[in-house]
Formats: sequence, structure tokens, C-alpha cells
Amino acid sequence: MAGPRLPEGPLVLGRGALIFVTIGSMFPFDRFVRLVDGLAPRFAGESFFAQIGGGNYEPRNMAFVRQLEKAAFSEKLKASRAIVAHAGMGSVISALEASKPIVIFPRAMEHGEHNTDHQMATARWLGGKPGIFAAFEEDALAGAIEAALESPPAAADALSASAPPAFVAKIRDFVDARPGRRRP
Amino acid sequence: MTSSDAARRTRVLFVASAGGHWVQLGRLKAAFEGCDIVYVTTRDDYRTDVAGARFHTVSDVTRKNALGLFALSFEVIRILLAERPDVVVTTGAAPGLVAIAWAKVFTRARTIWIDSIANCERLSSSGKQARFFADAWLTQWPDLACPKGPSYWGAVL
Repeated sequence: MAGPRLPEGPLVLGRGALIFVTIGSMFPFDRFVRLVDGLAPRFAGESFFAQIGGGNYEPRNMAFVRQLEKAAFSEKLKASRAIVAHAGMGSVISALEASKPIVIFPRAMEHGEHNTDHQMATARWLGGKPGIFAAFEEDALAGAIEAALESPPAAADALSASAPPAFVAKIRDFVDARPGRRRP
Repeated sequence: MTSSDAARRTRVLFVASAGGHWVQLGRLKAAFEGCDIVYVTTRDDYRTDVAGARFHTVSDVTRKNALGLFALSFEVIRILLAERPDVVVTTGAAPGLVAIAWAKVFTRARTIWIDSIANCERLSSSGKQARFFADAWLTQWPDLACPKGPSYWGAVL
């Protein structure tokens, strides 16, 4: 399962940044993995680590695994300088909560990469927000990765781990409005 | 929690498929402070996210997999009967829909469906079905809210 390993930790040349590539789930996204793998040599100073899911394409220029366990995923996220991912909310929110810039490249229904085109809508909605760099075309991905690497590191509290208080309060009200005791 | 309210804390079943559904529901933990939260998801390694809490895994099936939904129903019903939740809250996907549906049959839990924030142009297909089983039927997009539901109470971001 595991591919060729590149050295861990900062490299001597370049920025030595770790770029964490993830397609979110096991659901294949070969077009994206192949694309990032092709770009990796252009970021010679950086090291890429990819979670590639269940696709057929195996990267040649990146260390990769099929799937990281949740704890290992969180660690990899923390250690990285930037995330390059599909336009899934799990990846986006995880990156923002960890104060990491994220590049999003939406899955397309026409390529069989998802059962709807909602990732296109997600990318249109989120692209350009602080720390989020959307690429819709394949030839825009390298520029988006470069922009993410050049972006200033986000403040540690860029996104709190909790939903906005007003939403939390409304849910809380619903939970507290208990219609009598149901468990005598 | 006031002791006159109940002999035990409000028990809440959190149901969310692995990935974005789980991450979104996790951002609502503050709404359930003081409650006894039990987690249900589709990947066992997610238990490290909620170390120490009661945690169950169920099969990751889609709404189109009839046989899978049948098997999933048994898994869900077993959890519902064991945990007897007061509230079931889910951000999807199919396992969350199955959970609130069977919760209405086998428990007196009140149910909350929160459609994923990823569905900004239309409700998910599970989200449309959820109207029949959700006491609080919510979208995270004001434009998708209707007088007859779903309602918009806010979003996790």
C-alpha cells in the first residue's frame, strides 16, 4: 500500500515545506492525484505527502498512502505548510481549524468523480476566502499551490473549533425544550 | 442541568458519516454541553477524535443500496435500543437518515437533521427524505429555507 518514502522533515533546499495532498475519502480521484504528482517536481524544495484513496494511479513523485487513520491525519495536517485537496468540507474545515491554507480542486460529476457537482458550488463559494485557494482548471492548480505557499501563515485562532454562537444557541434551545419527562 | 429536569443527563446520539459530515457535527458539540453524547460514525479509527466517549460504528452505505440499508437498519436499531437517546442529531448522510427514521419508531427521541453545508444550491437527497423524520429539519443555507421547511437556524461556519 505505502509508496516510496521521501525524507521526513524539512529539506535543506527551498522552503522545505510539507504539502499534504488529500482526496478526503477512499472514493477515487485519479485525475487530481495524477495532476498533483505531475506538478510535484516543479516544487523541488517542498515535500509532498498524499492520501490517495482507492484510485488506480499511484504517484511517482510523492510519498503516499491510501488512507491515514484519523489521528495520523490530524498529525499530518498539523505538520504541513499547506493542504491540497478535493473541495470537500471535511478537508476544508479541518484545514481551517488547523490554521493551514488549503487549495481546493473540485471533483466533477462528468468525470465520475462524484455523484453530483456540489463540489463545484463549494469551490465557487469558498474560493478567495482567507486561506482558501480554488482551482477549477487543471492548469490553474500549480498557481493556486504557489499562492497557498506564499500566503502568510494564518493566525492560530483563525477559525474556532465551534460553530457560531447564535447557531449553537438555537440548537441548545431545541435540546432544552424537553416536552416533559419521558423516562419516569 | 437541573436535577428536577431528569434523573439523568440528556442523552444525545450524534450520527455522522466519516468526513465532512463528522467534522461539521463536531463543531456543534457546544450546543450539547452537559449532555451525555454517544457517537455513531462509519469508521472505527474516528474514535480517537472523541477519546473516552461511547462510540459505535455502522456500515457506510448509500441510499441507493437497498440491501445495505437493510443491514444498516439492524445496526442502527441495536444502537438505538441500547442507548435510548433523548435526542438524535445528524448531519448525514444515509446512516444519519436511517438513524432518525428508526429513532421515531423505536424511541421517543426528538430528532435533528442538519443538511451538510456543502449543499449550497439544493438540499441533499437524504436531506429531502429527512423532512419525514426530523423534528428540527435544517439547512445551513438561508436561500434553501422555506416556510414549510427546511428551516435555517445558522451554519457551522
